[in-house]
Amino acid sequence: MKRLLLVFIVVFSIYSINVFAGGFQQNQHGARAKALGGAFTALANDPSAIYWNGAGLTQLSGTKLMLGTHLLFPASSFRGVAPSKQYSFMESQMFTPTHLFASHNFDNGLAIGLGFTQPYGSGTKWSEDWAGRYITTETKLQTFVLMPTVAYEVFDGFSLSAAFIYSFANVLIERMIPQYPFEGDAKISLDGDDSFAYGYNFGLLYKPTNWLSIGGSFRSEVEYGFEGTATTTGAAQLIDRFPKGDITANLTTPMNIVGGIAVNVTDDLTLSADYQWVGWSSYDVLAVDFADESYPDVSNPRDYMDSYIVRFGAQYDMLNEFSVMAGIYYDNMPVETERLNPSLPDANRLGFSLGFIARLTKNFSVTGAFMYLRGEQTTVTDSKENYYPVTGSFVPFNGTYNSTAKILSMSLQYDF
Amino acid sequence: MKKIIFILFSVSFAFLVLSGCEDRSDITGIDPILDGKSGNADLTRFVVIGNSLTAGYQSGSLYESAQIYSYGNLIAKQVNTKFQMPIISDPGTPGRMEIQSLTASGAVIVNNPNSGSPVNLLYPAPYNNLGVPGSLIYDVLFATNANNCANPPNEFFDVVLRNQGTTQLTQLKQALAQQPTFVTLWTGNNDVLAYATGGAVLQATPTNPIEFAQHFEDIGQQLAQSGAQVVVANIPYVTSIPFLTTVGPALATNPLLVWWQISLSQTASGLPATGLIYMSHEGGTNLGILPYNVGFADSASLRNSSTLVTLRGSSYAQLLGQPTGKYYRDFNLAVPLGVDTTKPFGFHPQNPFPDIFVLDPDEINTAQSTVTNYNNAIQSVASTFNFGLVDVNTLFTNIRQADFTGGYKVDGLTFSTAYISGGLFSLDGVHPTSRGHAVIANEFIKVINAKFNASIPPVNIATVPPSLKFTGKLGKLEGYPVVSPEAFDRLLF
Repeated sequence: MKRLLLVFIVVFSIYSINVFAGGFQQNQHGARAKALGGAFTALANDPSAIYWNGAGLTQLSGTKLMLGTHLLFPASSFRGVAPSKQYSFMESQMFTPTHLFASHNFDNGLAIGLGFTQPYGSGTKWSEDWAGRYITTETKLQTFVLMPTVAYEVFDGFSLSAAFIYSFANVLIERMIPQYPFEGDAKISLDGDDSFAYGYNFGLLYKPTNWLSIGGSFRSEVEYGFEGTATTTGAAQLIDRFPKGDITANLTTPMNIVGGIAVNVTDDLTLSADYQWVGWSSYDVLAVDFADESYPDVSNPRDYMDSYIVRFGAQYDMLNEFSVMAGIYYDNMPVETERLNPSLPDANRLGFSLGFIARLTKNFSVTGAFMYLRGEQTTVTDSKENYYPVTGSFVPFNGTYNSTAKILSMSLQYDF
Repeated sequence: MKKIIFILFSVSFAFLVLSGCEDRSDITGIDPILDGKSGNADLTRFVVIGNSLTAGYQSGSLYESAQIYSYGNLIAKQVNTKFQMPIISDPGTPGRMEIQSLTASGAVIVNNPNSGSPVNLLYPAPYNNLGVPGSLIYDVLFATNANNCANPPNEFFDVVLRNQGTTQLTQLKQALAQQPTFVTLWTGNNDVLAYATGGAVLQATPTNPIEFAQHFEDIGQQLAQSGAQVVVANIPYVTSIPFLTTVGPALATNPLLVWWQISLSQTASGLPATGLIYMSHEGGTNLGILPYNVGFADSASLRNSSTLVTLRGSSYAQLLGQPTGKYYRDFNLAVPLGVDTTKPFGFHPQNPFPDIFVLDPDEINTAQSTVTNYNNAIQSVASTFNFGLVDVNTLFTNIRQADFTGGYKVDGLTFSTAYISGGLFSLDGVHPTSRGHAVIANEFIKVINAKFNASIPPVNIATVPPSLKFTGKLGKLEGYPVVSPEAFDRLLF
């Protein structure tokens, strides 16, 4: 019977959470950037510059306010567990990362801005009887950041910016636990939040001529210390054995370094490109500590690797009041397939975007964008994820992932 | 220019929408859907003959959620052939054993007070699953109803065979009546099992191996004449099942029983040997002063399973050392001549542990040599008639061996023969769990594939759900697994 107890402890120690990999980094901060495939670092010419490249604020005149949201529809399927080829589909959910940016230019080289946005705000949900239920049934991470930003034009065409990032966040992780050797599953739910985490960012924008601009930005890691509770529901006979109570977990969102270039090919046509380096290796281990000493603390290797994103955008001004945009986006999968996990069905992603700006009045404009992201089909044959986590058992979660996402974006901008 | 942009815009948008609809899954080689046949194996009319193991009996009962994982049904699903069973609704008949509570060191197991009933008695043909719980090899050839079987009454014969009026067909005849293309036969377990599980008291001797061999050959001949493809399975050594291996080692390691002190005091009182003292009707020692023989099992022989205490005796094993006659009261038995229930139960020759709960070394030998003889007969019939042979005995021996080397690993899972935690045996300690059935089904599939050049895919054992059931209630008790003796009253093998 001692072994039984061990079963349930070990069950938990294999517990894995995977809350904020590539797919969780939401580059959804304004419809304009979205329409350009995200290639906005060297442009940064609307208030969403606060996120993309604060140095761009010096280009904006007067006071501007921008408010918008994105409707994000991720979809994923899994075929497996190998050798089975049975389809499982992620439950459809809609996420609405929302942004609010305000900027003011003092017309003496100094500009300030305040932004509120959600850099990570997504999740995955699978049914409670699907094949991978012992790995994940629901994972949700929301981070909110408030970014007061100062930008200064050091000399003509060259601006720098600095911002403080204040962030709060919440996380929810649920999965099933096999009650092996007994029938049925128990369900464990971890939820936690962190009301204060901080970071900083810097931006740079250089316009050597009027047809070329170069931008760069640096966003620091943000360390979250989540505090919360674990709750478990299961057979009454086993309930004493399941881990529960207060927990803490530390997560570090990655550092980002972005370089961008934008070229005005003609008066009407602007092309832009970004290269973003993402320091995903910050996500090497995921640890959950239980306040109750009787549950062993958990440390799981996630083994993410530094990765990159490349983006290309084009804007064509058809009329003074109306511009169309298009973009291409490529996000390199930051994890080896052996650690791929359905709590975050990551993939090499290729995205295409289209959008428009309609300047409805002198002061008011609407920007809309649609992006379609297609994850490269990824077949895992060497999984280190165990989908039957009981003592003595290792059953690799091999199979084939397919994922897509559709993102509809809308931003409203008012110039005072 | 604007026209071009507009066209580009439209084409791109169309591409986005279209690529969203296309399934680019390039997994090829979807397993072919079998139609009851694979290679030379033809399971289009598939019948399994046997006892409770074949019926899918689990935790002392026959019920639907266990029957659907009987090895016969698992094989039928893998090869995609029709398989009708005598389904009994949950919680089965009699109400299955369930776990009422668990503590860090023990379990309390009770019978579900409800019972299920047959749901497809009116199926107008013999069932494909002709496993009858409690059936002996004699019954396969001769029993047609609840009252003319070897151990009457056994209603399962009526539930499975449903003979009425003058048409009285045995298990074998009902199999042949289906003009089967494929038959599996796994019988004989009960011919020795009841001897072992009843401490060689409930059934005094196993079926005579010569009688067994004759019956088996008779069955084999009739199956061979039918032209069906046949696979037979042999019989595992019964002495390694958790029903027999759980209580002894638990007693040997129970910190409340200080064996060296018990031994000292027994030696001091002049006994020739020490340890657990049990009544013995076959061997044992006649101490000269008592009208019965007693056997001795010291803690080492309990630990290494050279003397076995049955699970049925678990609640009496808790009373060791106490001045009690509870066993005689519970079973309405007269206290035998010479027994004094004021003496320490199980530690004094005048209050010995009941014979019925102990399988001593002589009895273990008898059981094992009987199984060897049966298996020789099975092997000889298999080779005579060119049947496939599933060596369940070797499989089980390997699994048992693996208990001492970290467990039996298959499909990424680890099993052992341990009671409850091992994952292979249901709560009665005798019958396999659903996953145990999957292990057996894969052994059959292996033999079918080899013998008939087939390629039936094995069952993925991890996808078979664990099958030990909980009651809704919660109780508490410390110690090793305690099973009320009534829980086994109707245990059929």
